[in-house]
Amino acid sequence: MGNDNIKGYKLEIWVTAICFTIVAITGGFFSSVVVIMNETFFNQVPTPEELVNNYGETMFAFKEHLAVWGFPLHYFLLIVLSWIGATLIGAIWCLVMDRLEEKQRA
Amino acid sequence: MEPRGEVFVLGLILSVIVLIISVMISVWARRLTRNLGDYYVAGRSIGAINNGLAMVSLALSLTTFIGLTALIIEGLYIAVAVYASFTAAFIGLMVLAAPYLRRHKSFTTMAFISERYDSKTLRYISVIVMMIVSVLYLAGNLKGIGIVFFFLLGVPEVVGIVVGGLVVTLYVTLGGMYGVTYNQTFQTIVLLFCLMFPVAIVMRTLGASGWAFPPLGYGDMVPQMTEAVPHYFWAMVAHPVVYIAVFLGSFFGIIGLPHFVMRYFTVRDAKEARWSTVICVFLVGLVNTTVYATGFAAVYYMQAQGVDISSAAYDYVVLILVEALAGDSWLALAVAGSVAAGLSTVSGLLMIMGAGLIHDLYGTIRPDVDDEKKLKLSYGAMFFVGIAVIIFSLEPPEFILEAIMWSFGIAAAGLGVPIVLGIWWKRTNKYGVGAGMVVGTLIAFVSWIMIGYMGMDPVDIPFPFFANYFYGPLGWIKVIAVAVPVSFILTIVVSWLTPPPSEELQRQVDEMHGWNDVDPKRYNSKVLPVVIIILSIFIMYFMTYEPEGTDFPRLEGQEHTLRDRD
Repeated sequence: MGNDNIKGYKLEIWVTAICFTIVAITGGFFSSVVVIMNETFFNQVPTPEELVNNYGETMFAFKEHLAVWGFPLHYFLLIVLSWIGATLIGAIWCLVMDRLEEKQRA
Repeated sequence: MEPRGEVFVLGLILSVIVLIISVMISVWARRLTRNLGDYYVAGRSIGAINNGLAMVSLALSLTTFIGLTALIIEGLYIAVAVYASFTAAFIGLMVLAAPYLRRHKSFTTMAFISERYDSKTLRYISVIVMMIVSVLYLAGNLKGIGIVFFFLLGVPEVVGIVVGGLVVTLYVTLGGMYGVTYNQTFQTIVLLFCLMFPVAIVMRTLGASGWAFPPLGYGDMVPQMTEAVPHYFWAMVAHPVVYIAVFLGSFFGIIGLPHFVMRYFTVRDAKEARWSTVICVFLVGLVNTTVYATGFAAVYYMQAQGVDISSAAYDYVVLILVEALAGDSWLALAVAGSVAAGLSTVSGLLMIMGAGLIHDLYGTIRPDVDDEKKLKLSYGAMFFVGIAVIIFSLEPPEFILEAIMWSFGIAAAGLGVPIVLGIWWKRTNKYGVGAGMVVGTLIAFVSWIMIGYMGMDPVDIPFPFFANYFYGPLGWIKVIAVAVPVSFILTIVVSWLTPPPSEELQRQVDEMHGWNDVDPKRYNSKVLPVVIIILSIFIMYFMTYEPEGTDFPRLEGQEHTLRDRD
């Protein structure tokens, strides 16, 4: 494998790995992070008994100082990252692959 | 909620117009179909914009228009998380599979698996998996068309299922992939117009300051919402592994769902395949975020303004909202958009089922049959499949969105894994793929039969060790967090323990990535399979984890799966 080919191969692998990781986090794992780091986003974490008896109480409310454009931070990040974020990541990956394809043809 | 009680003339007229235009497009497209390649992959002549728009309509089935809004009313965060994952999954499909599949020049997913691993047996297995996931996906969507007809005319859902099913069968049979593609493009434009405008009017009536752009235009209504429904944005109803299962199902399921992958075989080249996905994900995100706004509006309308909508009517809530807050003209648009959404997805699925039966099954059993005869048989097969699916859909197995989530899980374990590894790891061979496909599919499919079809409680199914952890809301989704990792692990381990594929098969991997030369070291590193195995084990182990300070609902009364809505 020539030097250019090695560079092209590594570029493809790394850019693909990074883009997939980012989009996997924004589109999938971020939801889990919100659940695991619940105290960051919500006022109070109820116990299981409270969960059953007090569903609908203020302890479930998000922290208002973390609001963006009126939306809770975790919700805003989820919808924007999985939409605009994913589109941008996809466009960047396409641009890199377009350039790589031109080099492969050359 | 009861049907309107009278025929909704304007909505009926617009819906009939959509149906007539769909058939006319197919009649026109029939002239473009001269051979088998034209019929199945539109002569590989579709551009990025056309393909991107067609993919949008495939993605935005009636589950988006109807099912998602209903799910949001049930519990917002998990619903949004499911669709956020589904939106981003298109980029996963693109970076892991789309352009590489296009370079492979197969007609279908099943053909790709068979040719990449040089195995007729795998072709037969993949056709079976394809039929399972397609029927599950189709039944949900045809039921959705029935729901719209029920609302529109007050006639039983069965009428909508039969009429909608017959129209789609007619235009898919007539127009082949050209007809399907141009129809899907038309239906995307109808869908975007018919969703965005009525929802904007609804948001304006409710007082949202940013009503002109519904996806992000309701932030100022959030304080009133949290006052009326404090838990609206609460994220803690499900164990974190549920979200990871959703990620696995959507990211690898979309790669495994043959009607999505088939779109990439229709485009001119790999570059068009890539950019069509970017166009698609932007528009899918736009529509999904608009539907989140619709769900918000529905809950706001019910809770903050005290309007009572029974849970039995949640499937109609988009139409109810538009009728109540925007008026009949906008409702007619929303109805036409719903019909378009249902038709487009069903057409794509019928296309892949017909192609699978004739090209992949019959063509393999009878390789001596020429293309002209295959083309004639394809018309018949497509019609037969359409009728069979209509009959099956008369008794859909369960709630519209649940059926589709199961099909994503089965597709991920059965088809997504062999496609991804076949593209990125040369060492993958037919023995490994056979083991992974069969076991992964069985785990997901048998679980669906027990939970989704027979109605067993997920924790009671005879699934060693893991069944104990399928508790809580949406606990059944955790099946995907076992099926997909097991499929990956088996494929990799069995491939390692058996002889490597021939040089000719390994050469396909270099060609799929656009290289003119062949290098045995490329795409043959041990790092990728090792990382995948570690992550797979971690995900299954994670199912047993409970973050400190939380105890995810195991308590009586907390078990509210989607099925409870039926």
